[in-house]
Parts: sequence; structure tokens; C-alpha cells
Amino acid sequence: MNPTLKKTPAKPSGRRYTSVSDLLRGEKVCEKVQEDVAGRAAEKKIATLLATLRAQAGLTQQDLAAKMGRTQGSVSKIESTPDRDITLGIIQDYAKATNSAISLTCGKPLNHVQAVKNHALGIRHSLESLANIAQKHDELEPHIQGFFGEAFFNILSIMAECQDRLPKTREDFEIRLADTEAAPLPTGRRDRKNLKASR
Amino acid sequence: MWRIEPSTQFEKDLKWYEKKHPRELAAVLDNLHRYFEQIKAARHPRAVQAGYMHHEPHGVVAIDQKGGGKDLRQTRLYTFAEADARLLHLITLGGKKEQSADIKFSSDFVKSLPAT
Repeated sequence: MNPTLKKTPAKPSGRRYTSVSDLLRGEKVCEKVQEDVAGRAAEKKIATLLATLRAQAGLTQQDLAAKMGRTQGSVSKIESTPDRDITLGIIQDYAKATNSAISLTCGKPLNHVQAVKNHALGIRHSLESLANIAQKHDELEPHIQGFFGEAFFNILSIMAECQDRLPKTREDFEIRLADTEAAPLPTGRRDRKNLKASR
Repeated sequence: MWRIEPSTQFEKDLKWYEKKHPRELAAVLDNLHRYFEQIKAARHPRAVQAGYMHHEPHGVVAIDQKGGGKDLRQTRLYTFAEADARLLHLITLGGKKEQSADIKFSSDFVKSLPAT
């Protein structure tokens, strides 16, 4: 239908989508246009992230420009620049002005298994650092102990939720969170040895 | 979670643009993707700001094809972000010539939405 023709009153279609790519698939837009849109988005991933960080920080382009010592126009330009033209200095400026931490990974993206392993290593490193802090600062120890308990529960909850989504073909492996009295966590070398032996 | 909901008119426009002006359509949809990402992150959709956005009456925001390449026909996608329902309505797509009619059409669409 030519949109220049007079339009009759419209109403919401009732179909809802979580992303633009989801919309294009759902509305059966031809693959050529879908690929074009995906290609454009891929070229400006960093710019989109920077604009999103600004929005998250509740800053206008003008506010951010003032914090970065730039003009509003240059901020607007950065936020529509292809990734290859964005410098590390700009990323650093955005991180500082929006009080955010930005991690940058270049090269072949990690697959899901590699990503999980990477996160696990990161979690281990951070927990070890916290444990070292607890050793040195008695006043922080109860807070860190509390955090460890919370993190332990949250990680297990995530594992249980995701495991629930797996097809139910095997019954010999299952994670369950039950509301039972928890056994004390192994603390010393002897406890860990006993725990190993009991497995 | 924010969601996108096309209107019955947008669905017709989408088909027409897909055939007649695919480059303009891709450029506008790329900007829509960026706009939607910002809406999801912002505290309120009114706080979102970008060079490809135009604020129209009744909270309608028109997204244009800027940044999509050279020699593109001026194209606008009319949207309305319903903050309480966390819904981004896609109302209609149109060119420069139809601009005033499209703004009126979009305002009428917003007024017809049930109050949340």
C-alpha cells in the first residue's frame, strides 16, 4: 500500500516484539533488509553502547559534552560513528563521565562455553581477592562472609533455573534448591578432606 | 521489559517500504534499534536524545534515516513510547511530503490508546 494514500485509523496490532531483529523476523521482512539492518547495527555496536551508557546515567548529550569538555555536536557525532573510527580515548572519556566500567573484547567472539569459563575465572579471582581482604581486615569479615553466602545462593539459583530449561532427557544430573537447614560450609583443610571423602 | 508493538498501519507501510525503498527502510530501522536500546536503558523515554529523533505533539517521536548513507529519501518512522506499559508503538512510516498528515495521524493514534 502506498503510504501517500489516505490512511484509515490504525490500532495496535497486538503483536509484541523484544527487539528490532525480532520484529523483522516476526513481520516476515525480506532477508535482504534484515541483513542490511543487522550489518548496520554491527558496524555501530560501540556507538550504540556509548549512547546507552549516557542514557543509563541520565545525562543529555549537552551534560555529557560539558563533562568531557566537548560540544554537544561532537557527542552526537560520536554516537553515530562506526566502531572503526572510535578511539580508546573516547571510550575512556565516556566511562569516566558516566561513571561506568567498560570492558572491551576484540577479535573472534567467545562461544557460550568459553564465555562461561571466562566468567567463572573472573568470579574466582574476585572471590579470592575478597577472601584476602577478609583475612586482613577483621571489621570487614562478617560483611564478606555474608556476601559469600549470598553469592553462593545466587550462583546456585542461576544454575538451577538454567538447568530447568534443559530438555528432560537425563535424570541422573539435577540441581535442586530445597528449603532445608544448610550444613556448615567446609572451612578448614580437614573439613574439605572430609567433604571429598564423603563424595 | 520493554517491547515493540507495530500498528496495523505500520505493518502495511513496512511492506510498501520493503519493496519500494529498502535502503531508507534499513536506515530508519537501524536508528530505531539504537533508539530502542536507549529507551531500555533510560529512566524515562523522554530523557532519550539523539540527532535522528524529532519530537512531535502528544509525545510522538519521529525517527529519521540520518546516518544511513547518501542520497536517501527523507523518511520518518513515527513512534510513541508508552512508559507505564513499557511499550514502544510503531505508528506509521512516511516521507517528507506526507509529514504533516502523518503527524496528525500519529497524534490521533496516541489519543485513541486506552489510558493505562
